[in-house]
Amino acid sequence: MTESDRTYDHLLEVRDLHTEFPTRGGRVHAVDGVSFHVDPGETLGIVGESGSGKSVTVLSVMRLLQPPGRIASGHVLYRGRDLASLDNAEMEEIRGADIAMIFQDPMTSFNPVFRSGWQVGEPLRIHRGLHPKEALKEAVGMFVKVGIPEPEKRAVQYPHEMSGGMRQRAMIAMGLTTAPSVLIADEPTTALDVTIQAQILELLQQVSREFGTATILITHNLGVVAGMCQRMMVMYAGRVVEEGPTDEVFAHPTHPYTWSLLRSMPRLDSDSTEPLLAIQGLPPDLTALPSGCAFHPRCPFREERCVQETPALLPVRERQRAACWVTQSGRDLTAGPPPRG
Amino acid sequence: MVGYVARRLIMAIPVLFGVTLITFLLMHFTAGSYVPGLQLDPNLKPSDIARIRSNLGLDRPVLVQYLDWLGIGAILQQVGLGGLLGGGHNIDTGILEGNFGRSLIDGTPVLTAVLERLPNTIELTATAIVLGAAVSIPVGVVSALRRGGRLDQGLTAISVAGFAVPQFWLGLMLILLFSVTFHAWHLPWLPSSGATSPIGGGGLLDRLEHLVMPAVVLAFFYLSNWSRFVRSSMVETLSQDFVRTARSKGMTERRTVYVHALRNAIAPLVTLVGLELPGLVSGALIIEVVFGWPGIGLLAFQRALQFDFTTVMGITTFAAVLVVAGNLLADMLYAVVDPRVRYA
Repeated sequence: MTESDRTYDHLLEVRDLHTEFPTRGGRVHAVDGVSFHVDPGETLGIVGESGSGKSVTVLSVMRLLQPPGRIASGHVLYRGRDLASLDNAEMEEIRGADIAMIFQDPMTSFNPVFRSGWQVGEPLRIHRGLHPKEALKEAVGMFVKVGIPEPEKRAVQYPHEMSGGMRQRAMIAMGLTTAPSVLIADEPTTALDVTIQAQILELLQQVSREFGTATILITHNLGVVAGMCQRMMVMYAGRVVEEGPTDEVFAHPTHPYTWSLLRSMPRLDSDSTEPLLAIQGLPPDLTALPSGCAFHPRCPFREERCVQETPALLPVRERQRAACWVTQSGRDLTAGPPPRG
Repeated sequence: MVGYVARRLIMAIPVLFGVTLITFLLMHFTAGSYVPGLQLDPNLKPSDIARIRSNLGLDRPVLVQYLDWLGIGAILQQVGLGGLLGGGHNIDTGILEGNFGRSLIDGTPVLTAVLERLPNTIELTATAIVLGAAVSIPVGVVSALRRGGRLDQGLTAISVAGFAVPQFWLGLMLILLFSVTFHAWHLPWLPSSGATSPIGGGGLLDRLEHLVMPAVVLAFFYLSNWSRFVRSSMVETLSQDFVRTARSKGMTERRTVYVHALRNAIAPLVTLVGLELPGLVSGALIIEVVFGWPGIGLLAFQRALQFDFTTVMGITTFAAVLVVAGNLLADMLYAVVDPRVRYA
């Protein structure tokens, strides 16, 4: 592995990723020039509405796209090695060993006909060639780490015999057995109720600290991002529209979409008489994107230029980048949108 | 589980009464009071025929005849209520006591005739079921993996042929080719009928030679049916979340398909195969007739044409019991394959 000996800038770096799905209505650009990176011990949040391309982005990283979906161009550099150009056998060695993934619905993401401990220990059997008994022992140990009570008993249960929260813990345990350096969590708490959500998020945080795992957390819940992620990235219609350190993005959103998302979220520390704003309109149809900036039909800050030209992702504040003509020309969104006549 | 089985068995009782009653009525309406052989015997006077009918109870109302066949009359007599059904009769059956009676044709006990044919039928049907399942699973999986491809289309065409081509025609064509034409060309040929050779037969090779054609025709039918089923079940399973999870763990495509997807995909097949279990004893009628296979299907067919009331009723009852048992067995097997299924 000469490539991995080479120095690299980031543990995982995605450069100008384009993912397409050919459909009857033409090619859908589900991911359109996305770039980001994560480093050990860091948590990156990816935020966006359904259909914004968050999941497709990470599935592209894992090379788990359902055909006919495919990576059209771009690079996925893991320790400097381009995953997009690996053959299947090479990719299989990376998946589950170096980069693991946790899925949204722990109900459907476990195989219903195999015992949970068997499934959790499976990555060890595949990647380390562990004996099934050894793998089961490791799985039980991992159950302890993720806080599953009665781990020996749980390990021989079938997934349907466990609660949703237990299953999600088991899922995290499954992702962590091989001590991967990157953990991708695709809406890991969406299917769970609120108290369990908090426990699972805490567990993910603890894991990232303890194992030094680089975590990519996909969510549409801004509260989760605020609590978990050092950096965040906002996606809209397959593009990154804003990125930066989480606290700065929350304090000074530099894209109207981020601004709208924050304004639509109730906060304990804000003036409760201030009305919550819903974002006008619907997420765009990816087969027929609006001209110029894809967000312009729904944007309260819209200018004439936004309708014609697509903005690039450029630095707006010191550590924040945004793809917006309005903020790139120096306007501050915190002052609110101009009144419409 | 025990409670579930008990409930299913209790539910089977009205089913069995219904099946036997309907068959009894059908036989009654087609055969009436016809007794095989009587009308053909020139030595019998009409009064003799009437007496024999009366002895057999065939002059009584049809529902009373059904009760007679069940053996209710005999039971009533034992408890001293014999007069309730109006006197005795001679048909000598008592299904409720396990007595299937004697054939109206040759006088042999029906149960003996059935049990005599049973091994042949089991041999044919079991071979076909095993063959069908063993081939349909890989065929279905391969079709699912290459769906839309040439191979899938080819296999689909063969399956459709399996549905569309009548079994008797396929059987006759095989006989024409492997028995008649091969014989004419002095090639090794296959026997066209029976389960063994009439002279010096009965050895393993001899039985296999007789078995191969009927078993293949029957298996072909199962194969078409089941491989379609496995294909669609597999296509559906492959799009499930847990298959993606399996891939995300870095396992090979082969392991993903054959370990994680297959077990889920073929679980419902158990029910389908279970439905064919009664065929193990009821026999594959058409194939047994075409290949002269001395099984239960052929027996039922011949005796139905001869209006052998007791034998036909006996075979029907036997088959009905096994359909019920086969379904129950299939449902229980399903619980073994899929741990989520629990019966209470």
